[in-house]
Amino acid sequence: MTLPAEIRPVLESGMPAVMVTCSADGIPNVTVISQVYYVDEEHAALSFQFFSKTIRNVRENPRAYVCVADVAGQVDWVLQLVFQRSETSGPTFDAMDMQIEAIASATGMSGIFKLRAADVYRVLSVEKRPYGNGPRSHDR
Amino acid sequence: MIAITIPGRILRFLEQHANVAFAGTRDRDLVPYGHRVSGWLVEPGGQSMTAFVSEHSTEKLVESLQDNGEFALTVEEFPSHETYQFKGRYLRHRSVQREDLQVVDRIRGRFVKSVRPIYSEAPEPLLHAFIQAPALAVEFEVHEIFVQTPGPGAGARLVPPAEATHV
Repeated sequence: MTLPAEIRPVLESGMPAVMVTCSADGIPNVTVISQVYYVDEEHAALSFQFFSKTIRNVRENPRAYVCVADVAGQVDWVLQLVFQRSETSGPTFDAMDMQIEAIASATGMSGIFKLRAADVYRVLSVEKRPYGNGPRSHDR
Repeated sequence: MIAITIPGRILRFLEQHANVAFAGTRDRDLVPYGHRVSGWLVEPGGQSMTAFVSEHSTEKLVESLQDNGEFALTVEEFPSHETYQFKGRYLRHRSVQREDLQVVDRIRGRFVKSVRPIYSEAPEPLLHAFIQAPALAVEFEVHEIFVQTPGPGAGARLVPPAEATHV
């Protein structure tokens, strides 16, 4: 599965996204994440800033759901992902670190947001969901 | 796990300040699914909540709830980012009623008022559309409340207190 080109500006817009994970014992967890980073057509990276339930969950059960809102375009992008690896250096980490600092500064969260790792996920599916009653577009 | 009573401070947050929400479920294979939530209310007694799931976001919802009953709801006040997550067990679902739409309208109004200073150029319909029309009301019994406000304390259990355990 590949990320379509039209999703890239949405991911780079700095809009927060929502991530749902599930523990090994079956409890779902919903969290707001500050960044979904486009790594390449088949991979996205999410920021690991705190030792959170989300981080524990994806290491127990690698599946993750992410929803990114394109408010101007009136669509939600829904991604099904599988966790692959965690990077603490390299170009993806450096680029995310810079973006996190910019987001923190813009949202008054300086000193709170700090990137510990870039968690890289493989994209399993991508779905574009228009707001309202518009038709769904599946890319599966 | 047993039902808890939502504390007054959190009730006030839910009823007067919070303006966006998202729910999570999982299927029998532990694959997580997200559901946009347009509104919510706390049921009398303060031990259960009803979430109004938006119309394009019901994929796998009822099927998963009837399979395993696990439900999580994260509610945030934007732009302060004060956020709480409510976890519990599915009780029932129903179609959306006229009174539910009034709840959603109030929350939509709060959302638009809160984001207007940030997105001063955004057309009014664009901001209104972000809180979508609800399609399904899901009631669940609340078992745990977690702080989700961004920062090192995110994820801490608020109710029951972290040291408390249930049989």
